[in-house]
Amino acid sequence: MDILANVMLGFQVALQPANLFFCFMGVLIGTLVGVLPGLGPVAAMSLLLPTTFHLSPVSAVIMLSGIYYGAMYGGSTTSILVNIPGEAASVVTCLDGYQMARRGRAGAALGIAAFASFIAGTLSILGLMLLAPMLAEVALKFGPPEYFSLMLLGLVIVTFLAGSSMPKALMMAAFGLFLGLVGMDIMTATPRFTFDIYFLMDGVGLVPVVMGLFGISEVLLNLESKLDREVFETKIKGLLPNRKDWGDSAWPIARGSVIGFFLGILPGGGAVISSFVSYGVEKKLSDRPQQFGSGVIEGVAGPEAANNAAAGGAFIPLLTLGIPANAVMAMLLGALTIYGMQPGPMLIKQHPDLFWGVITSMYIGNIMLLVLNLPLIGVWVKILKIPYELLFPLILLFCLIGAFSLNNSVGEIGLMLVFGAVGYLMKKFDYEAAPLVLAMVLGPMMENALRQSLIMANGSAAIFFTRPISLGVALLVLALLILPMLPWVKKKRGVIAEIIE
Amino acid sequence: MKNNDQRSSLFWLIVGLAIAFYSRKYGLGTLPSPGPGFLPFLSGVAMALLALVVFFQQIPRKNDTLKSLWAHKKWPAVPIVMASLIVYAVALGFLGFVLDTFLLTAFLLRVMEPLNWKTVLAGATGATAGSYAVFHLWLEAQLPAGFLGF
Repeated sequence: MDILANVMLGFQVALQPANLFFCFMGVLIGTLVGVLPGLGPVAAMSLLLPTTFHLSPVSAVIMLSGIYYGAMYGGSTTSILVNIPGEAASVVTCLDGYQMARRGRAGAALGIAAFASFIAGTLSILGLMLLAPMLAEVALKFGPPEYFSLMLLGLVIVTFLAGSSMPKALMMAAFGLFLGLVGMDIMTATPRFTFDIYFLMDGVGLVPVVMGLFGISEVLLNLESKLDREVFETKIKGLLPNRKDWGDSAWPIARGSVIGFFLGILPGGGAVISSFVSYGVEKKLSDRPQQFGSGVIEGVAGPEAANNAAAGGAFIPLLTLGIPANAVMAMLLGALTIYGMQPGPMLIKQHPDLFWGVITSMYIGNIMLLVLNLPLIGVWVKILKIPYELLFPLILLFCLIGAFSLNNSVGEIGLMLVFGAVGYLMKKFDYEAAPLVLAMVLGPMMENALRQSLIMANGSAAIFFTRPISLGVALLVLALLILPMLPWVKKKRGVIAEIIE
Repeated sequence: MKNNDQRSSLFWLIVGLAIAFYSRKYGLGTLPSPGPGFLPFLSGVAMALLALVVFFQQIPRKNDTLKSLWAHKKWPAVPIVMASLIVYAVALGFLGFVLDTFLLTAFLLRVMEPLNWKTVLAGATGATAGSYAVFHLWLEAQLPAGFLGF
């Protein structure tokens, strides 16, 4: 068995003491930022990216991935105990989770959330193992036109699923694309939009931009509206769900895992959307739909399974095509490129230790998370009680040090502060940052693919419509651009946006 | 000017046009061999067109005024904190990491919710010492030394 040998290789890598340590650090930090509202996995990953430069690429990616799926775990704790989602993906968990806590079943809610996350996380890793190598084989046949169309499709899906208006999200994608192109042009060595500022020659740094948009701006918004957090005062007992809980949750977990995994592969808010879809499905299938929202355990189990499975699915486009599906994956892509690895169909073949090591580390990380989140739940509740007045100077300080240590340059701090202000205003005026970040990472890749395609076709844009795969993708892009203008789709998108808000 | 979408889209319209205009300087090239300004030009044009779409879309909303966006009582926190971060960045080379960080954290701890001075001093000392230990001593980040030499 090929897969078995690969999995063995993966465990050999993941079980090395150093990698175990970084896996643990990753899930620990992930749980922490998941628990703390107002600091998400994207900001945390960008904060820690500079510190990983002297690690081996495998250790670094293991840690950064741990932050991502760890945050999915931690987010549910805040939802259940405080009724504030620690992560966008655990918004739905608030609905029934908090109600369970109010009825004295906080323990069972936290327990089933952790177990559902664990089971779904494990299932989606299995899916990833089976599907990714096959997809990578297919992707080897893609040329520049296919890649360009696919990247365009990714951007359009992200804007289609965006909560705010699609033209605004597309505008942010266009701006991100531009930001990605600032700096030295690879083909002609022309410096573009650098205005003789030395540190812009290498382009606008992804890390300071992300820290500004997701870190600084978030702190500013929190300071202004001042989060009122009231931790549910109750003795948490009975973390192990009883037999009836398991009976009620088994199918929701299974369905949530499948929904999450496949929606996670799609670009855009996979984890967020899939948790809503799972909740909706469970409510439809339930024989007591009227009780949803009053603290039923299926309403916690399904969505929690879905958002964790989506976290696994989201790795597929990155590891097989080299195209990130969301802002978190964009960070990982940035990291891989810094370590000199080109994600794409060749990644699995060229760096099997990285691919299989990271995947098996996710399995180990899931077990660590179970231990971290169940017996140690009391610690996280204590952290939740730290007042924000004490917390925000630390978050800002980490951002400042993180930005500076990228290149030992105050210029990077300046860039971060500019994007902190921009991000703050974008939130105020209801613009989304995710399409911007994604487009920024895709920018140079898209430019390359576009130029190569046009050179191949001797200047004819028809090349995107004459090759079958590219044509199919291009038609999808057009459909997604036209659909929102149809009245009934407009209504549906409005409903999704409302739920997400 | 009816709503905030229109106000913000005007800003992005200007940005888009500026990008498109400057891109021409770098050479658009030809279709068979696109130049360095080609894709930046397209993205600038796309931004400008989308900004126009947003401007003329006219989505009616309640209370969509500039004032409604800054209705929170604590909004002055934002410019104060931003200004302190800018001062921190500018003073970093001169004051050095330790002194600059101590002053910033003390200021931030004191300015938002006036905590008592004991907490402020303890917090600022702890944050400075902790971050110095983690980033400088452990992770070996090159933090700037100021005129005092640390």
